[in-house]
Amino acid sequence: MSALSTDTHFATPHSPAELREKKDRRRAISLLTPGLLWMFFFMVLPMAMVIYVSFWTQTTFSVNSTLTTASWKHFLSSATYLSAIWTTLRIWLIVLISTVVVGYPVALFIGLFVRNKTLQTALLVACVIPFWTSFLIRVIAWRPMLGTEGAINVILMKLGIISEPLTFLLFSEFSVLVGMTQIYCVFMVGPITFMLGRIDISVIEAARDLGASFGTIFRRIILPLSLPGVIVGAIFVSVMVLGEFATAASLSGRKVNLLGNIIVSQVGSLKWAFAAVAGVVLTIIITAVIALALRLVDLRKEM
Amino acid sequence: MESRILRPTLALYTACFLLFLYGPMIVLAILSFQSIDGGPQFPIRDWSIYWYEHLLGLAETSRVSQLPVGESLIRSIVLAFMTTVVSTVLGVMSAEAFRTKFKGSGPAFYLIILGMMVPGVLVGLGMALLSNTLDLGRAWWGTSFVLHVVYTYPFAFLVMLAIFNRFDRTVEEASLSLGVSPAQTFRRVTFPIIFPGVLSAMLFSFTLSYDEFARTLFTAGRDLTLPLAIYGTFSVEIYPNLFAFGVLTTLFSFTLLVIYGLLMKRFTSKASRYKGQEDA
Repeated sequence: MSALSTDTHFATPHSPAELREKKDRRRAISLLTPGLLWMFFFMVLPMAMVIYVSFWTQTTFSVNSTLTTASWKHFLSSATYLSAIWTTLRIWLIVLISTVVVGYPVALFIGLFVRNKTLQTALLVACVIPFWTSFLIRVIAWRPMLGTEGAINVILMKLGIISEPLTFLLFSEFSVLVGMTQIYCVFMVGPITFMLGRIDISVIEAARDLGASFGTIFRRIILPLSLPGVIVGAIFVSVMVLGEFATAASLSGRKVNLLGNIIVSQVGSLKWAFAAVAGVVLTIIITAVIALALRLVDLRKEM
Repeated sequence: MESRILRPTLALYTACFLLFLYGPMIVLAILSFQSIDGGPQFPIRDWSIYWYEHLLGLAETSRVSQLPVGESLIRSIVLAFMTTVVSTVLGVMSAEAFRTKFKGSGPAFYLIILGMMVPGVLVGLGMALLSNTLDLGRAWWGTSFVLHVVYTYPFAFLVMLAIFNRFDRTVEEASLSLGVSPAQTFRRVTFPIIFPGVLSAMLFSFTLSYDEFARTLFTAGRDLTLPLAIYGTFSVEIYPNLFAFGVLTTLFSFTLLVIYGLLMKRFTSKASRYKGQEDA
């Protein structure tokens, strides 16, 4: 009883400032509640459901809620599923590296070498504009580009470089990698350009005046300062590539099966529990990748 | 010295990069003018707008069935509009909340950001499972809609957060302490400052939702949205009418972008005019 009264005594605010702070906090929480509830019911709950259903019993055409690890055993002992994990990781790593390699020099040029603000903005906008066209259309646009009668083969044959059309270009792992690199590169260029644009030019000039070569300046100043951008870009690219299935479905000719493709085909044949297992595996992979990246950079501080 | 070689090299590389970005769309646009007997590849037999007529239902039906764009287009636009309204409102409210420091703001921030991080195929699967279990029907205006908001709300939130970070709070406080009502203060002080952000948040939400596909795939039920209708044609042979559609939908998105640009320009010039009056 007495403990309770001391408690309320301490909780009662004394000064107007404290009162106001409390009011502000209450206001903040009430403003935030609808959004957080939305996220809980329509994101957290569905994700929990995926985990839950992965332990359900799968029969030929339906699932029932008897808990079992049969789906997991089935998944982990199937060569198709295990190779899908491996394919997903391999494609992710290759696309991640290729977006950095392809995108970094572009970011370097726009962020550091273009001094004119208008030109800088214009170049960035030029990079972002393709993002404004439909994702599926951008994927399908690679078919007339890479096909045996596609633009690249036609041009190469006209130039006399090849006499037979190259067939490995389309419906192969190659076309998936090229397509994904083109589609996701922008998400690498953006954050890196942003970080490079924040570098104080006088620091680089000072280094140059002191006789440092461009190689040294790049290694000692530019690269370290742009690294948060690379990591933020890597998070974007990783999350999108790991959850991919449309590019592989339309450009690989069913030769590339990512975990996303497994989920889609299992849902198509009403194997909900198997789809859920693939979903949980994918979640684990993505969580591990993001956790690793967030150890390297504080996302909230960089924004 | 080195920069003299490096700069042109990087400029050339950037040009090649832009070609890489735009090349496929350019080829697609060229091939959309293929003649009636031509396929979705080179050579162009004859230039024509046949496939545009085919897409719009103006051509007599031929061996190729028409793309089911009509109704799905309307559904996609309505869905994008609903998503835009809800996610912008939620984004503004949450960003406003983050202007006060409170306990648990870190986890709340990451919970919201998670919405744009979680792959669409995963939440889509989860939502489908949830609606199956609860015996709720799946529909584009229900299950798909809530997932679209989960995706676009974090974007709206981040845009608004960036705006509020640059927003001097004392201006608002001055207005309030001078006896202006909170409603008036919002209309005359807060809103003009945050308007460019609201417009950007709306643009983001609309285009992301209009184009969203992975989150819709398992949750739309029987009626298709536009991206689903397009995806349906992937598994069968493609024809240049798909390319014609690609060109038209790109033009539609650019129209939105131009409208956004004009609104933004009109607004900023108005704002600077006010500023000029203050100076005078």
